[in-house]
Amino acid sequence: MRSDERKTTMLDRTRTLPALLLILPSLALSIWIIGYPIYDVVYTSLHEVNRFGRVRDFAGLTNFAKLFADPIFIASLWRTVLWTATVVGGAILLSIPIAVMLNEDFYGRGIARVIVMLPWAISLAMTAIVWRWSLNGQYGMINATLFQLGILDGPVEWLASFDTAFPIEIAIGILVSIPFTATVLLGGLSSIPADVYEAATIDGATGWQRFRYMTLPLMKPFLQIAIVLNVINVFNSFPIIWVLTQGEPANSTDILVTYLYKLAFRYGRLDTAAAMSLIMFAILLVFTAAYIVLARRSEEKGA
Amino acid sequence: MLNRRLATLAGGMAAAALLALGPAQAQEKTEIRVIVAHYSDQTMGIFGGMEADFEAAHPDVDIKLEDVSWDNLQQRLTTDIAGGTPPDIAIIGTRWLLDYAANDIAEPLDDYMTPEFKAKFIEAFLEPSVIDGVTYGLPVAASARAMYYNKDLLEKAGISAPPATWDELVAAATAVKEKGEGAYGFGMQGKEIETDIYWYYALWAHGGELVEDGKSGIASEAGIKAANLYKSLIDQGLTQPSPTGSNRQDMESLFKQGRAAMILSGPWLRGQIKTEAPDLNYGLAPIPKGTVQATYGVTDTIMIFKDSEHKEVAWQFLEEAAFSDKNRIAFSEKEGFLPVMKAEAAAPAFADDEELKAFTGMLPYAKFAPLIPNWEAASDTASAALQQIYQGQAEPEAALTDAARKIDELIQQ
Repeated sequence: MRSDERKTTMLDRTRTLPALLLILPSLALSIWIIGYPIYDVVYTSLHEVNRFGRVRDFAGLTNFAKLFADPIFIASLWRTVLWTATVVGGAILLSIPIAVMLNEDFYGRGIARVIVMLPWAISLAMTAIVWRWSLNGQYGMINATLFQLGILDGPVEWLASFDTAFPIEIAIGILVSIPFTATVLLGGLSSIPADVYEAATIDGATGWQRFRYMTLPLMKPFLQIAIVLNVINVFNSFPIIWVLTQGEPANSTDILVTYLYKLAFRYGRLDTAAAMSLIMFAILLVFTAAYIVLARRSEEKGA
Repeated sequence: MLNRRLATLAGGMAAAALLALGPAQAQEKTEIRVIVAHYSDQTMGIFGGMEADFEAAHPDVDIKLEDVSWDNLQQRLTTDIAGGTPPDIAIIGTRWLLDYAANDIAEPLDDYMTPEFKAKFIEAFLEPSVIDGVTYGLPVAASARAMYYNKDLLEKAGISAPPATWDELVAAATAVKEKGEGAYGFGMQGKEIETDIYWYYALWAHGGELVEDGKSGIASEAGIKAANLYKSLIDQGLTQPSPTGSNRQDMESLFKQGRAAMILSGPWLRGQIKTEAPDLNYGLAPIPKGTVQATYGVTDTIMIFKDSEHKEVAWQFLEEAAFSDKNRIAFSEKEGFLPVMKAEAAAPAFADDEELKAFTGMLPYAKFAPLIPNWEAASDTASAALQQIYQGQAEPEAALTDAARKIDELIQQ
C-alpha cells in the first residue's frame, strides 16, 4: 500500500515539471497580457502624463489627491454605489420569480425562455439609443402614448433632470441585466432534483415554505455568482448612461466610468484617469474578495 | 537530403528577394500620409481630387489619404502621436492646436509661406491658427453662426422683420407664444456639446469675453445678464420646456418641424433643411445684438507634423493642391462652409448666395474659441453651471462665479 502511494507521488512529481514547462509559454503570455497593462496604468497614475501619452515628471500620489479633492469624482463615486446597488438588487429581485416561472413546466416554455433571453443578443448601446428616442420629450413614443391616454397634458423631458433621468437609467439597467441573471438562476433551479419538492409536499409544506426553505438555500451559490458578476458588470457599465445623458445635466447622472471617459478622452488628463481606473479596480477587487470571504464563512456555518 | 534543403532554401531566398524588390521600387516614391476629418460623405471625394492633382504634377509622390470621423479624430491622432507614428498632415480642430504647439508636435509654417500665399487668405480665419506670432496651421474649414427664423410663425405673430436685438427677440418670442398655436418662440439648447456656446452668443452680445487677462469672463456683468436673460426666457415659457433635455440636434429638429420660431445655428442647417424640410419658409438674420454685435466663429486647421520626414513635400501638397483655388471652392461649396480664401469668396457660388451673407456678414464680429489650455474641461464646467441655472438649481451669479473659479484653475494649469 505504502510503496504504491509513494510511487504515485513520485510519478506525479516527475510529471509536474514537464507539465509546468509545457504551460510556461502560455503562462508567460497571460502574465504579459494581464500584467503589463496593470503595470502601465500604475506607472501612468504616478506620473504627470500629457494628452499624447508623453510622460513628464514623477508625481507621487498627486493624481490621487486631485481626484479626492474633486467634488464631481466624490459625487460620482456615491452615485456609482447607488447605481450598482439598485440595478443589481432590482435585477436579482425580478429575476428570481422569472427564473422560478420559467422552471415550471408549461405549454410554450421554450418560447418563453427564448423571449426572456433574446434582449441579451442586442448590444447595450443599441438598446440605449432606442430608449433615448422613445424618451424624447417632443417626439418620443412614451410621451405620445401618455399624451393619448390623457395622463400628460404637455411634453415632459424625461432626461432633462436627475429626478427623472437617473431612475429611468436604473430601470433600463435592471431590464438589460435580467436575461443574464435569470439564465444563471434558471441553471441553478434546474439542478435541484424534483423529488425533494415531492417529499416536502407530502410532508405538508406550502408553496411559500418550499420556496423560502428549500429553493432559496439551494440556489444560494447561484445567487452569489449572479450578484458578483452583475456587480462587476454594472459598476463598469458605460453605454446606458452615456447614450441617454452623458452624465448630464450638470454632472448629476455621471457615474465613475462615464466621468473616467470624460477625463481621459475629452479632457486629455490621462494621468488622473489612470489613477481613477486604479481606484475603480481596487473597489471591485475589495468587493469581490470580501464577498467571497463572507460567502465562504456563511457556508461553513451552514455546514 | 542536405542538398535538397539547400536548394529549397536558395529558392525561397530568391523568391523573397523578388518579393522584396516590388515594395523597394514603390518605396522610391515619397509617401505623404494625410488624415482627413470626415465632414460629410463628399469629403474623401474632394480630397481625392487634390490627391490626383498633386500626383499628376509630382509622379514621385504618393499621397495616402485616411478618412477619420470627427468623433474618433482626437483619440486617433493622440494614439498615433503617442505611438511615434504620426501622419505627415492632419486636419484638427483649431482649439486643439495649442496642445499640439506646446508639445512640439506641430511644425511652424511661417518659413514655408510666401507673403503672396498668405495674402490669399481672409485674415480673420488665418488668425486662430497663430499662437504667439507663430503660424501652426492653415484654416481648412470655417463657419460662423446666425439666427434662423421661421417666416410663417413670425408673420402669424404679427412680427414683420426678424428681431435685431435681444429685447426684440423676447418680444417676438412672446408674440409667438400667444399667437403661434403651440409653437415655441426661441429654441434653447441645454444638453451635450456646445451647450455653453449657445449661451456665449448672449454673453458676447452683452459685451462679455470668455477670457479676460488670463481669467474666465463668464461671471462678468455681461455673463450674469446673459444667464438671467436665458433663465427668464425659460421661465416665461418662451422656449421649449426643460431645455436641459434638448441637445443641438433636438433643437434643430424643432425648427425643421416648424415648431420653433427662432434658433441660433450654423450653415450646415441650411443643407439639412433643403433635404429634410424643403417647404419650410425660413430666413437668416444676424445673431441679435445686446450692446454689441457678435457671433461664434469656428475654424478647423490643417497642419504639418514636426516629426514628418517630408515636410517640404507636405507643404507643397498644401500650397499647390489643397489650397488651389479650384479645390478650395469645390470643398467649401460642397461642404457648405464659409470661404477662407479671397478667391473663394469671389466665386459665383458664394458671391451670389444671398443667404450666405447672413453668415459672411457676421465675420467681422466673429469671436473664436480662446486658445487656452484645458478648453474642453472649461467648456464642460461652464455647461454644467448653465444646466444648474436652467433647471433652477442655482442662482446665475453664484453658479457662474463658482464655475469661473474652476475655469481659472484650469487655465492656469
